[in-house]
Amino acid sequence: MTKLVVSVLISRNNKNKMQKEEAFVELIKQNEGLIFKITTMYTDHYDDQQDLYQDIVYQLWKSFDSFRSESKISTWMYRIALNTALTRIRKKKRFGNSVSIDQVILKQTENYNQEFEERLKLVYAHVRKLNVVEKGLIFLLLEGKKYEEIAEITGLSPTNVGTKISRIKQKLKQQIVKK
Amino acid sequence: MEIEEMKALWSDMSNQLDQQKKLTNDIIMQMTQEKYTNKFKTLANYETIGAFVCFAILIFLILNIHKLDTWYLLGCGIVTMVFMFVFPVLTLRYLRKIKQFEIVNKNYKEVLVGFHKAKANLLNLQKVGVFASFIVIFTSAAVFAKIFDDKDFFMVERGVKEYLFLAFTLVLVFFFSRWGFRVYQKVANAAEAVLKELE
Repeated sequence: MTKLVVSVLISRNNKNKMQKEEAFVELIKQNEGLIFKITTMYTDHYDDQQDLYQDIVYQLWKSFDSFRSESKISTWMYRIALNTALTRIRKKKRFGNSVSIDQVILKQTENYNQEFEERLKLVYAHVRKLNVVEKGLIFLLLEGKKYEEIAEITGLSPTNVGTKISRIKQKLKQQIVKK
Repeated sequence: MEIEEMKALWSDMSNQLDQQKKLTNDIIMQMTQEKYTNKFKTLANYETIGAFVCFAILIFLILNIHKLDTWYLLGCGIVTMVFMFVFPVLTLRYLRKIKQFEIVNKNYKEVLVGFHKAKANLLNLQKVGVFASFIVIFTSAAVFAKIFDDKDFFMVERGVKEYLFLAFTLVLVFFFSRWGFRVYQKVANAAEAVLKELE
């Protein structure tokens, strides 16, 4: 997080619109990958993904003023992004427009590797098979969050998070074996 | 593939995504200006148009209620009017609740529970609507036959053609209602499963 973002968030009296916009743009730029990962996980189709992406940015902007610096900015972002994903209306499935992570995520980077992308596709395919609660939990786990932080974002107790995650691991294992 | 391997892949992907900046300042600010794909708004717009049609019918029925000169036709008129008023009002109310659902100060669990409950209310109303329309199709036919043609729907003599048409309508409405009910039931069951998961 840049110093600019921190200074605007901490200073509640800062009403300079330009500065607020700059801070917000900076925040989104730094976290566009995070939003992308959530939208890819919660949608099946390209248009749907684009809509959700915009919805998340819009919700983050709407609540940007109300963000309090006492909670971690990443916790706030995960919470808003995941909650937005939960409350959207799904578009009807259409043919030929499904989100494939190749051509979308990594092709533009210098390190493009087809095998790596194939394996990523597999990860997404397994995660997408989980239900909405499991999806949120596994996403946060893959993001490297500790049980306490997952509990803070989800509202479940850390023990409950642990139990559910071990169940999800089992489920994923079975899915993978089946394949 | 083990979970640890998934974690490693995910982490690699995150690193690569961090290098790949796609959004420009303009695009980001455009996203904050307007939700040009607000699907709730679209749905609410359709429902609002539907509500205006229902209210127009309601006003028309109030103005012509004196033409319903038997107790059963008057009963049909009242049932139709109640439906034309209550159903759109409740639908718009539940839609508004979903549209204005607050997500900023809630955690994942609270959003899931609250949103699914709001959705379940709307679905239950739609389910009732599907069955109510089954009745209203007849009450409204009786009412309009009387108002427009001064004919008593229940007393009028019908030929084979009319009875066939009536039977065909009934079958059609039955299958439509059953399909609608199953769709709503499926969504409601999925919502219930999620709530159970959180208990």
